[in-house]
Amino acid sequence: MTDHIVHVLPELEGPPTAPTVTSPRPVGKPRTRFARLVPNTVIIVCGLFFMLPLLTLARFSLQNVPTILLGSSTLFKKWSLSGLTKAFSAPGFGEALTLSLQLAAGTVVLTLGLLLPTAIWVHMRLPRARSLIEFLTVLPYMIPAIALVAGIFVIKPHARWFLNSDFSLVPFYVVLALPFTYRSLDAGLRAIDLRTLVDASRSLGAGWLTTLRTVIVPNLRTSIISASFLTAAVVIGEFTIADTLLKETLPRFQATYVGREPQAGYGLNLLALLLTVGLFVALSVLTKKRDRKGASFALRMKKSMKSGLETTP
Amino acid sequence: MPLSGAQWSPTPDRVGVTDIITAGGGRTVGAPPSVRRLNWAWLGLVPFFAFLSLFLVVPAVSVFSGALKDNDGQFSFDSMRAAFTGQNLDAFWFSVRFSAGSALVGVVIGTLLAYAAATATRPRWLRNLVTSFSGVAANMGGLPLAFAFLTLLGKQGVLTKVLKEAGWDLYGGTFGLGEVPGLIVVYSYFQIPLMVLITLPAIDGLKQSWREACANLGGTTWTYWRRVGLPVLAPSLLGGFLLLFANSFSAYATARILTQKSSIVPLRIAFYLGGDVNAGEDAVGFALAAWMIIIMVVCMSIYWVARRRAERWRS
Repeated sequence: MTDHIVHVLPELEGPPTAPTVTSPRPVGKPRTRFARLVPNTVIIVCGLFFMLPLLTLARFSLQNVPTILLGSSTLFKKWSLSGLTKAFSAPGFGEALTLSLQLAAGTVVLTLGLLLPTAIWVHMRLPRARSLIEFLTVLPYMIPAIALVAGIFVIKPHARWFLNSDFSLVPFYVVLALPFTYRSLDAGLRAIDLRTLVDASRSLGAGWLTTLRTVIVPNLRTSIISASFLTAAVVIGEFTIADTLLKETLPRFQATYVGREPQAGYGLNLLALLLTVGLFVALSVLTKKRDRKGASFALRMKKSMKSGLETTP
Repeated sequence: MPLSGAQWSPTPDRVGVTDIITAGGGRTVGAPPSVRRLNWAWLGLVPFFAFLSLFLVVPAVSVFSGALKDNDGQFSFDSMRAAFTGQNLDAFWFSVRFSAGSALVGVVIGTLLAYAAATATRPRWLRNLVTSFSGVAANMGGLPLAFAFLTLLGKQGVLTKVLKEAGWDLYGGTFGLGEVPGLIVVYSYFQIPLMVLITLPAIDGLKQSWREACANLGGTTWTYWRRVGLPVLAPSLLGGFLLLFANSFSAYATARILTQKSSIVPLRIAFYLGGDVNAGEDAVGFALAAWMIIIMVVCMSIYWVARRRAERWRS
């Protein structure tokens, strides 16, 4: 993935929308047998369109038969899992994977180190800055990776010492992931009554660090994990900047390896795809769980207190 | 009684005696300390602002400063103009055509799919499946997607072979995954799900009572869609189109695998950055990037405005 991620994770903001109970049938008209014909066709055709490329990618990774020879007689021959594992022993793979994992770890750490205090500070002390910060965090949508990298090339002569290092990618990856990560942390902070938690913790004598470590972070666990997963998914799939700055990350290896070893190359891309899908699925399971559990204890307390106040004369 | 002083005092510890005193009569008493405190609070955002300036604003501004200079470092519009001539113009035209095409396909099919999923009653899990899958697939662009389509529709692709057996030689004409129709097919893989995510809330906002009202007034299904449904959805559809257009216009990885030539704008920028150009010509690459930022800003701004309008019907 994802030099183009722009999508807005709707499930991260507030509770999920209730399933619609509306019927498509106009009142006063008998439902004809064909009323669902168009929607059902759309769903089936889309289903095919979305499944087929994945299936053929899996075939090329797992079956060692050239397409020319593919027919009824060879359809079930030469299937094996070796196409998936072969890439692991290829020269250059280990280094590329290590670099990508290090970049992912570095990006997660820098993202959390920068955004967590900022988001908490905004919620605690500067609520009026919230819309400004929100606007700033979606700026990366307007400056796509390829334009960002053009800017990096303009400053390159002045910052060679920095850009020569492979790890100079980390801050730019933080920027690319910013719209997702900030939104995720912000949604988490909105769901808890931060101020009450902090006041309670401080009045019990805890310092800021203790409050952060033992009160805020545990309450934001889901948000922090989602932000980290999103960041990891962005970094592990990022190709544009790494390709133009010639950094040998995993995606660059994926791109060139197919030319050398087609089957193993497709297998590696299949694995990368599955990894990304896995991260996103884990993410949605996590978010759903949080929504099911409902708001945090503190928020429920606040709500019940409020309703209690309203009922008293 | 709510402490009305809280409306200008950002911190809870400030809600105190002075606030109550000044609450009705103006800010003069409490104002000076509040101003000072506010300044200190903004200081907490310095790391974030500094980081963003260094790694986002400085590169973005540098693109323009690089684009607006001639060989001698003087201010000049030449490169910005050169970005719209010759092969660069071809690249823009190519990018606009397939981006508009894939955005249109995404809007139409994405809306139909969202409608189908939102109104489906039979398998209950269908709607959840469609939304969850869309969340994943909208982010699935990039290398693996390009390779997946090569195995399906490439010259040696499985579907290519099946179609050939059936008598349709896909590659008999000008078709190629790197050409306009090919790129539209591939990009649809993430454009359609993205549109589903954008448009599903709007479709949920269509109320059954509007349909009933329309029917009571003698309207047919067609009248309902023409007079009520589509006008209500229009801002979402327009916003979706622009977002999808921007999404496909700026995508790099997928096209990089599918086309060898630098026929689209992002690849053309990379070509200039690659350095195989004459001295001074790299400014044209920066100019292309500058135009891309301008196009993105225009698309995204209209998208935000349209999104605000679309939210009007949600309650």
